[in-house]
Amino acid sequence: MSISRRTFLQGLGLMSVYLSAPEALLLSAKAAEYAPRTAGKSKILVLVQMSGGNDGLNTVVPYNNGAYYQLRPTLAIEPDKVLPLDREIGLNPNMIGLHELFKNGKVAVVQGVGYPNPSRSHFRSIEIWQTAQPDKIVETGWLGRYLDCADCTKNGNIFAAVNVEPTLPKTLQSNKIMVPSVSNVFDFKFRTDPRYLQDRETQVRAFEDIYGTFQSKRPNAELLRNAGLEANKASDYLQKIVREYQSEIKYPDGSFGNGLKFISQMISGGVDSRIFTVNLDGFDTHTNQANGQNKLLKQFSEGVAAFYKDLERNNLQDDVVLFGFSEFGRRVVENNGRGTDHGTAAPVYVIGSKVKGGVYGEHPSMTALDDGDLKYKMDFRCVYATLLDRWMGADSREILGQRYEYIPFV
Amino acid sequence: MTGGKSDVFWINHLLRRAGFGVTPRELKRYVALGYDGTVNELLNPENVDNMQLEESIKQQDFDYTAINDLKRWWIYRMAFTRCPLEEKMTLFWHGHFATSDRKVNNAYAMYGQNMLFRKHALGNFHEILYNASKDPAMILWLDNQQNRKGKPNENYAREIMELFTLGIGNYSEQDIKEAARAFTGWQTLPSGFFFNQRQHDYGAKTVLGVSGNLNGDDVVAILVKQKETSKFLATKLIKYFAFDDPDPAMVSRIADVYMTSKYNMRKVVRAILTDPAFLSERAFHAKIKSPAELVIGSLKTLQIRKLDGDLPMTMARMGQDLLMPPNVKGWDGGTAWIATDTMMERFNFANRVTTTKFSEMSKFSSAQEIVDNQGLTSAGKLVDYFLDLLVDADVPASTRAKLVSYVSSDLSGKPVSNIPDEKTLDAKLRGLVHLIMTLPTYQLA
Repeated sequence: MSISRRTFLQGLGLMSVYLSAPEALLLSAKAAEYAPRTAGKSKILVLVQMSGGNDGLNTVVPYNNGAYYQLRPTLAIEPDKVLPLDREIGLNPNMIGLHELFKNGKVAVVQGVGYPNPSRSHFRSIEIWQTAQPDKIVETGWLGRYLDCADCTKNGNIFAAVNVEPTLPKTLQSNKIMVPSVSNVFDFKFRTDPRYLQDRETQVRAFEDIYGTFQSKRPNAELLRNAGLEANKASDYLQKIVREYQSEIKYPDGSFGNGLKFISQMISGGVDSRIFTVNLDGFDTHTNQANGQNKLLKQFSEGVAAFYKDLERNNLQDDVVLFGFSEFGRRVVENNGRGTDHGTAAPVYVIGSKVKGGVYGEHPSMTALDDGDLKYKMDFRCVYATLLDRWMGADSREILGQRYEYIPFV
Repeated sequence: MTGGKSDVFWINHLLRRAGFGVTPRELKRYVALGYDGTVNELLNPENVDNMQLEESIKQQDFDYTAINDLKRWWIYRMAFTRCPLEEKMTLFWHGHFATSDRKVNNAYAMYGQNMLFRKHALGNFHEILYNASKDPAMILWLDNQQNRKGKPNENYAREIMELFTLGIGNYSEQDIKEAARAFTGWQTLPSGFFFNQRQHDYGAKTVLGVSGNLNGDDVVAILVKQKETSKFLATKLIKYFAFDDPDPAMVSRIADVYMTSKYNMRKVVRAILTDPAFLSERAFHAKIKSPAELVIGSLKTLQIRKLDGDLPMTMARMGQDLLMPPNVKGWDGGTAWIATDTMMERFNFANRVTTTKFSEMSKFSSAQEIVDNQGLTSAGKLVDYFLDLLVDADVPASTRAKLVSYVSSDLSGKPVSNIPDEKTLDAKLRGLVHLIMTLPTYQLA
């Protein structure tokens, strides 16, 4: 049975009427204990959303396919440049780090992933991936529903999952909890007047007191109250983690590299989350694709490689799987601006020490197209079901509404 | 007016939605005009003398070719204009035709587009859509520069239907392909729009059942008159001004105004601002303030005249980076403004206002003077004064009590019956305003 966010929150609000202020405070999360992670504690999933629609054909290149070279006269990548995965396909030459990991058996590439009646709208298609529901609009994400089932919030853990982007992706929209978003940990601190440091404690206590009991019938008041409480609880703890867990590993510049680094700091610092989300944006390459996409794929590959190395350094590589996906691939034939328009199926990437590396699934035909687009070969929910059941130890039927075939990458 | 509330109450509400809040002085002027008079003034910016703003902007010496200056310029306009609805609609169109300088990479083109939205802020949607389609920043943003005969680029054709007019589900993939051909050759040069005849596809096309040798103008004309467009725009505008969950009846009312007025936005916006639902309990404090509303509103309410240069960054960290929206869909708004870190940013903005900007409150310079001038003779009166000013007193009794006990304590938190000294008073006053600005209801418009 699922309860809606509103009724749940109302329940909480009503309860606090009967409690005095100090008791009501206990309803909010306990301050997290500070202790580094011990290997094997739990299994963690890191989601990398490659936003804008990454061109799968120039990421995992069908370098043995004549049609590819015909349909992509200026964009095709020469066979001798690709980093081969097998005799048919190879990685974009900018993905050296990922290729190394593949050669070590740590990367699964699943080909031709998509869903029936594909939407070419960025916004609808990413929503479909985030909610795992192609047929209707729903309010919860697939991992939000995982959090609802897994009851991760017991014992006052506010870090059931952490999103390191400014806005929470629908993936983590849950009925029961609000997942914290922390994009810049250095600004993530409740400040008070530096001239009156003496008053700080009184003021912070007043804030917590007020937030602990604030009741209002305005439609968004409970959402705001929860966000405020969690922000405050999370900040001290995360500040400390970031101070204590510095890393010498070099990550690529930019918000994606910083995000992965922060995730690694949180994992090794003992933040008890099983899910982390990060975004790499800019894949909507309608014009001059090569330049933009190459830079992004380089960032992706270098970031993932650095992240893996960082985990290894702390002997935590067995605890983490990283999953990279995009809302759609792109049209097979290139357009007139050395770019590509919105398409359909594309590969996804599953990376980790416990992953059975290799190429999975069948490459969609480059000639039998559906109105110029690739026909998908693998439903994305098979990937989700595999990750949920065989990695996270969840019950995917409860989350996805039915059983899906597993892909043996884990 | 409605619900037994005063004119002042609803004018405050109106200006939070149709503007960016009010200074006490502005409020007085609007109250003298009354609610209907205020709506009339807001809807007719061309009748308002805004020269003072233009003059002071000249003195600021903004560089319109530098994107950070441009952001500051726009914030300056939002804060000091006498035509707040004009700026609010400019922001609406910016969010609707969401174009980002991250890709356009040409601040002056962004300035041009912004001026276009301001010029047509309350104009005719047909004209707005037509001009937006030919706008150089838009052409660069959605790749129409590369949309050529024989090799169409579908980006603009898709977004004009999905995001600017019909909404998803109200067109086919074939409509997009045909419309893309109609926009072939619509290009930009450094001097502005350029119709490249050699790149235009003059062949027959069919868009939404209309066939012919269609060009971009024709597609625009077809799109603006669709019933789906009227509903799409009505829904979006009601959400922007009134509440996040408009009912179908209200959407129909507003969509009808769009159709019968032949796409006249002034009439559409008037219909929303005077709709009984807009002036109801349901609408009051029903929306989460956007970062622009929060930041500008705070400055206006507290009469802070000097704007810090990093306000654009502050708003960006709250989730609204002006002239750099996250994608072509613009800002989702509503509950999407709220996440733990954007909330923290709001708290820390409040702290910055009360620590470094507070002394600028124009009528007084010290805490003692505020208290004396307003006749705030007790902790309760002090708390009530600021709760009224900042959140229309929309808080539960428990919150008021906790604020009173915060003010009635010394710096170590020990209860006192009299504030011991002026330093403590200053700390408590700043702390009080900070705390009120962190309240859930302060985040509501």
